Amino acid sequence: MGFLEFLVKRADDMLELGIAHAVVVGAAVIIATVLGVALGVLTYRHERARDLTLALTGSFLTIPSFALFILLLSPLGLGWRPVLLALVLYGLLPVVRNTITGLRGVDPAIIESAKGMGLNRRQRLLRIELPLAWPVIITGVRVTTLVLLGIAAIGAIVNGPGYGELIFTGLARVGTPVAVNLVLSGAVGVMILAVLFDLIFYAVQRLTTSRGIR
Amino acid sequence: MTQTTNSTPSVSGSDPSVMIRLEGLTKRFPGQKVNAVDELTMDIHEGEIVVLVGPSGCGKTTTMKMINRIIEPSSGRIILKGQDVTTTNADDLRRRIGYVIQQVGLFPHMTIGQNIATVPRLIGWSAERVRNRVDELMTMVNMDPDEYRDRYPKQLSGGQQQRIGVARALGGDPSVMLMDEPFGAIDPITRDRLQNEFLRLQSEVRKTIVFVTHDIDEAIKMGDRIAILQEGSRIAQYDTPEQILTAPANDFVKDFIGSGASLKRLNLSRVSEIELSTWPTVTNEDSHERAHELLAASDHSAVLVLDDEGRPVRWAGADDLRRGSGKRLDQVGSVPQAVIEPRATLSDALNELVTARYAVTVVVDERGRYQGVVDIDQINETIRSMRSSAVAEARTEFASEGADPAQGSS
Repeated sequence: MGFLEFLVKRADDMLELGIAHAVVVGAAVIIATVLGVALGVLTYRHERARDLTLALTGSFLTIPSFALFILLLSPLGLGWRPVLLALVLYGLLPVVRNTITGLRGVDPAIIESAKGMGLNRRQRLLRIELPLAWPVIITGVRVTTLVLLGIAAIGAIVNGPGYGELIFTGLARVGTPVAVNLVLSGAVGVMILAVLFDLIFYAVQRLTTSRGIR
Repeated sequence: MTQTTNSTPSVSGSDPSVMIRLEGLTKRFPGQKVNAVDELTMDIHEGEIVVLVGPSGCGKTTTMKMINRIIEPSSGRIILKGQDVTTTNADDLRRRIGYVIQQVGLFPHMTIGQNIATVPRLIGWSAERVRNRVDELMTMVNMDPDEYRDRYPKQLSGGQQQRIGVARALGGDPSVMLMDEPFGAIDPITRDRLQNEFLRLQSEVRKTIVFVTHDIDEAIKMGDRIAILQEGSRIAQYDTPEQILTAPANDFVKDFIGSGASLKRLNLSRVSEIELSTWPTVTNEDSHERAHELLAASDHSAVLVLDDEGRPVRWAGADDLRRGSGKRLDQVGSVPQAVIEPRATLSDALNELVTARYAVTVVVDERGRYQGVVDIDQINETIRSMRSSAVAEARTEFASEGADPAQGSS
């Protein structure tokens, strides 16, 4: 049975797994973005806090994903819960780092003039600094999304949702003709999702970035 | 003594014409051994442009930034309109004070209109009032609202950006403006134009302005009063430009003005303020005989030919007339190059006349019609009279300061 034939036959599966994969990654990206931007905003003006946050969120990425999923298994059980938490932890670094870089990159003259006009700290942050740092932040979110799409596939080891299921099933049947098709379809599914997410990000970035800084 | 000025309740001994009073204002930055600003006390009067000028590192910018508390003073007081604002809410204070910086600092993600609307919106004006204010301010700084309102800062030239910077600072109609080298990063020709535009604008809005520069020429041009500052923001002299140029208080001021104080003084008076000399003129309809007659009767070596509208078109000397005999008078001689309007300064006039053919600058009105000429004698005369009147003024001040009862009776 050829690969295309296999895909057509498994179309329903592909769609269902794709939606599950997208949902868990999407949820993790949103949570990681909210947490990451918050951490960045809280720490970007203080050197020590900044370095500490970057070191901490960076250290998550050094834990092998396989190990982390299994470590989270005992507190969170099987299914989407350990996957979601692991993905959030992996996704923090690009968001935090780009938030800090973006906020620190805002021209000090702009901040001084905002201050001189009587915008208070909150107004400066919400109306001036974050909008100006936004293109850099959203680039971080985009990187996070791509990284998480790949890692999420490994989540099938703890019965997580998504295309990982196809890959691990294939792994269990190595040597049989269907194994290659299974693994290949899982990988292709992840790639298609990556392209779709990137298109969405392109649109979001265009829509949420002021024409004045494009 | 009962009729002397009353003191307001908040600050004793305040003079109502004083808009900003700095009292013993001091700033020491952490880790520094000396004060950046040391016990500065000065009054800034309502409606005046006060220029803080001095060498770099003298503390002029720090002084200015303490007025809106971008830099918080270490000690001393800031009194605005009789009210001590040293420890009040800094954001409220800043909304009452316009702020223009050299780098302009327009918000790049907002349109020109949104930039100018910043303070009016912060202080809660209605949408319609804000809209009208934006258009009014853009017109005031010579930027067409319909053309530029919805553009972004990056689409504007440096000069246009600073115009918007000034308009934005005027947004909430503050009574005080702080300007930190506002034209410092702009090319010399545009800078000159912006300075002139700003002076015209100021003659309409009459704000109290604290203007920081390191350029003494800009200080002389812009200032109603100039404070020349030494290290630690100590005042070397605080006086009108005329007085500073004519009677520098000490060697520091003398050095800072540099050579050419007389030339700088020429920046202070305009052609319209002096009496113009006359010059023999003919119209293009006149005959060559008439031109020769006039030349013979005057001690000048050329006549000025005017067209039907009275605009100067040619210089015609005796040689030109001979060579061009038979031609109309507006076909002979050379085109006058040194032509200025009455609003120009004497410095401009001098600049033109040193290179001009007959060592005079022709003055025309705004429609280009001949008004008279400026020559070197008049410039010389003006410098001498400015000097003597400034010296006389300095003497009177000196005499009145020293006029205690004992001396008064002698």
